[in-house]
Amino acid sequence: MSERIPPSQVPPAAREDLLADDLAPAADDLTTDGDAVTDGDTATAGPPHAVGRRQWPLPKLADPDAPLLLVDNLTTYFSLEKGTVHAVDGVSFRLDHGEALGIAGESGCGKTTTALSLVQLLPRNARIVDGSMKLMGIDLAQKTENQMRRYRWREISIVFQGAMNALNPVRRVVDQLAEPIEHRLDQSPKAARKRAGELLELVGIPKRRGRAYPHELSGGMRQRAMIAMALACDPAIVIGDEPTTALDVMVQAQILELLERLRRELGLSLILITHDLSVIAETCDRVMIMYAGRVAEEGTVAEVFRNPRHPYTQKLLSAFPNIRADRRTLEVIPGSPPDLREPPPGCRFAPRCTFAMEVCSREVPPETTFAGVRVACHLYPEGGDGMPVTTPPPNAIGATAPLVPPPSDAPPLESIDEVRGA
Amino acid sequence: MGSYYLSRRLVQAIVTIAMIVALNFVLFRLMPGSPERATIRIPGVSAEVYQQTRARLGLDKAIFPDQFVAYIGTTLQGDLGYSYKYRGQPVSEVIGSRVWPTLILFGLGELVAIVAGLALGAYTGWRRGGPVDYAGNGLSLILYSMPYFLLGMILLVIFGVGLGWFPVSGMFNVGASYASFTDQLFDFARHLALPLATVSLGLIGQYSILMRSSIIETLGEDYVTTARAKGLTESHVLRNHAIPNALLPTVSLIAINLGYLIAGAITAEVVFNWPGLGTLAVEALTSRDYPVLQGIFLFLSVAVVLANLAADLIYGLLDPRVQA
Amino acid sequence: MTAPTLTADRLRSERLRLRLRGWRDFARRFSRRREGIVGAAIIAFFAVLAVVPELIVGPLETATTASGTRLAAPDLTHVLGTDELGRDVLNLTVHGARISMVIGLLATLVTVSIGVFIGIVAGYIGGWIDTVLMRITDFFLVLPTFVLALILAPILREIIGTSSTIAGIRMTLIVIIIVIGVTSWASTARIVRSQTLSIKERAFVDRARVIGGGSGHIMTHHVLPNVVGLIVANTVLTFAGAILTETTLSFIGLGDPFQPSWGQLLDAARSSGAPGLGAWWYFMPPGVCIVLIVLAFTLVGGALDDVLNPRLRARR
Repeated sequence: MSERIPPSQVPPAAREDLLADDLAPAADDLTTDGDAVTDGDTATAGPPHAVGRRQWPLPKLADPDAPLLLVDNLTTYFSLEKGTVHAVDGVSFRLDHGEALGIAGESGCGKTTTALSLVQLLPRNARIVDGSMKLMGIDLAQKTENQMRRYRWREISIVFQGAMNALNPVRRVVDQLAEPIEHRLDQSPKAARKRAGELLELVGIPKRRGRAYPHELSGGMRQRAMIAMALACDPAIVIGDEPTTALDVMVQAQILELLERLRRELGLSLILITHDLSVIAETCDRVMIMYAGRVAEEGTVAEVFRNPRHPYTQKLLSAFPNIRADRRTLEVIPGSPPDLREPPPGCRFAPRCTFAMEVCSREVPPETTFAGVRVACHLYPEGGDGMPVTTPPPNAIGATAPLVPPPSDAPPLESIDEVRGA
Repeated sequence: MGSYYLSRRLVQAIVTIAMIVALNFVLFRLMPGSPERATIRIPGVSAEVYQQTRARLGLDKAIFPDQFVAYIGTTLQGDLGYSYKYRGQPVSEVIGSRVWPTLILFGLGELVAIVAGLALGAYTGWRRGGPVDYAGNGLSLILYSMPYFLLGMILLVIFGVGLGWFPVSGMFNVGASYASFTDQLFDFARHLALPLATVSLGLIGQYSILMRSSIIETLGEDYVTTARAKGLTESHVLRNHAIPNALLPTVSLIAINLGYLIAGAITAEVVFNWPGLGTLAVEALTSRDYPVLQGIFLFLSVAVVLANLAADLIYGLLDPRVQA
Repeated sequence: MTAPTLTADRLRSERLRLRLRGWRDFARRFSRRREGIVGAAIIAFFAVLAVVPELIVGPLETATTASGTRLAAPDLTHVLGTDELGRDVLNLTVHGARISMVIGLLATLVTVSIGVFIGIVAGYIGGWIDTVLMRITDFFLVLPTFVLALILAPILREIIGTSSTIAGIRMTLIVIIIVIGVTSWASTARIVRSQTLSIKERAFVDRARVIGGGSGHIMTHHVLPNVVGLIVANTVLTFAGAILTETTLSFIGLGDPFQPSWGQLLDAARSSGAPGLGAWWYFMPPGVCIVLIVLAFTLVGGALDDVLNPRLRARR
């Protein structure tokens, strides 16, 4: 759990030689913003930004002083015929240049939906209903599909879980890598393929293996290829959605090491989504714990992991067996995550929280900040001392969720496709 | 495509054809009316002539293996026996003269249906909902439930009789003489129009439904989401990622469909009196010309097997995952 | 709380309750699918026509009891016009419902019986029997079975003869039933075999074997009940196919003019030149009925398949 090198200290010279200098950016592609320039911004394309490793100018509307990514109150709902699923309900966070943010939580807590919202790649029945996502000051939530296309992959790219299905099975890997270079950066097919080969080498795949089809590569190599593909347009942010989950432990370690190296050498900003806290501990600077569509706790990895404040974070950390500690019974969190079609009023974790108080099931806990950690819990009210609470307070009612949830009356969702509206 | 795949498919096809020939032989034995009497066709023939004919045809030998082997031998040489109805004419000749009208009708029909059906299916699958989708879906479902000959009769009544745009029978005008080749071609095309429409419409319905669901399934795959995430335009994603993958199950099903097509083929020809194998089969049925029926069975079965083989090979070319 | 006693009665009532809940669940899920309901309504309509045609249109008109002029267009006395013998087309069509549906039903029974038998035997016994049976099944799947039917039908007709009846059904139609059954069983066999293979893996079959049940006993009492549930959807779709095949075979001339099915009516229409004369009222009614019934069975079969075999594609 060492500290990360602050991004401002990454020597700029080290980055240049890793990027081919015969790839000139397309003339006006970077300086226009999709179809209509409605924001009235007149900032011209300036010199390459000093921070980060971007070779070419920022988007025309970018604010050079704004944080890299500022998400405020993002709210995304899915509409099913059986109700509306409040998948992401008021999530806010910030990502700075060169930072690595880990988003952790159980399945269904909204991590992937948050990631898909950032690039507006939600399924047909999902919509961003509120909030803003400001990339260098540009609110992506307001962009239409046509406008959004300009930002995809060039500013934000995404590495999906299980790269087997994320690569087109009937096309060669190198062609798929070259595709965004050719079409988004306006390069000739030959130059694009050359660049794609270099990217493959960058992630440790021999250039000639690029001519293979996805099914001919091992799982680890496919994941590396996906990472290489994500870097193709030199994006500001790379989102990794469970990039190591489908892999075995040894390969997992290799991929994490690769991500580390790329971050160091290229000054990448990373959003890493995973349910595996150990991965976050190893790679990320900051961590955001999500539960049932909301942020439970967010802060530096060092602080959150050493002094977890939110009861959910504490339970999460204690649920991971520590190979060096004495043997003990693993703690289990009773109950199961709430049905997001009818989320409980107040704190969504209250039914399972051993520290729950009476106010918890009535009011939504406000977010407060202590020692650089943001936490949403009634145990840490505004003006309090903000010290982590490890024993239930005297007025605690405790968890009301049973150990085994009763069979619900509502007809169950019959398949995952129902949520995706397939 | 690995050579193992190729050779395996080839061997399977040969084995199937062998089984077809064997089945044909069994049917030959079951045929009512003994062949020797058929070739003579004179009642009250003397026992001597009868025995001679039997010996000549090799029918006095054991069924298996002698007759069986002899049968395979003659069949491989293209000798399928002689027609009952067309006295003395070899079956292979009778069939041969009627093959090309069927080939034209169904070759063109299949081609039109593949192009139109796949295009329609891809479009409706991409733009789900909307009037084209619902209308197309409903129409396809109805066409799917309709026997080809019924569709033929409807088209005939509306466009042939009612509107008088097209002739309703045959391939050319009876007894016509043509000023030039283009005149003859034009007449041929007019006669081809309604039967072609019948065959194509039925197939278009099937292919578009299939392609539509294939595209919808493909558009939900992760690599399509990745392609969109790359910021590529929707039409680029459709053309380069969705369609190449959606074609795969479609090709398989077009091949499987070929066998079922035959029923529609035969009946559609009958409605329009199109002088192809279909009408020949029905004529043979009514006149109990069993050798011709058998010959048609053999010909069509082998054709289907070969067409399936070709489709398998095409699939192997399209899908790089197909190997050993 | 004292432990509940496991008497045979309690087991039985428990099982009954579970089965009732299963039926209720099924009914609820099926009723959600509109196309299934539409299909079922259409089938019910034609079933009524098939059971009591005389109540609706009187007895089947023949050449001697023909009531109108030849090939007359529809008017007030004959709402669907008349055929080339002067018979009322509505009368013929309604009576045709019973013939078409009965042939379809019996042909489906033959098809499914053969298919289930071969499928279970191949799947359960395995080994070389499985290989041989599957080779034969694949052969029948590739073969254009319609042409095979075309050859088999006249052969069977000559062998069996055409004038007698079995249970009121004329021999020609019996021939059609047999021919359809013998040529269409292959896809059912395939489906049943794969189900049998997966059931074979399940524990209760091993237990039955341990107790000492013989193969035949296991196949009929354990495998079959579990397979039947899963092939219901397939059977309904087979019914649709059987009706289409019968229609086509009758159209070719293998039908029976004395017990006319819809296909036979279409054959009569064509050979009397109705399409060329523009007499649409002769072939449209039976034609529309065929389309409706095939559509109905396809819709119901599809809905049943959705309900009984839900596919959980968990992608992420």
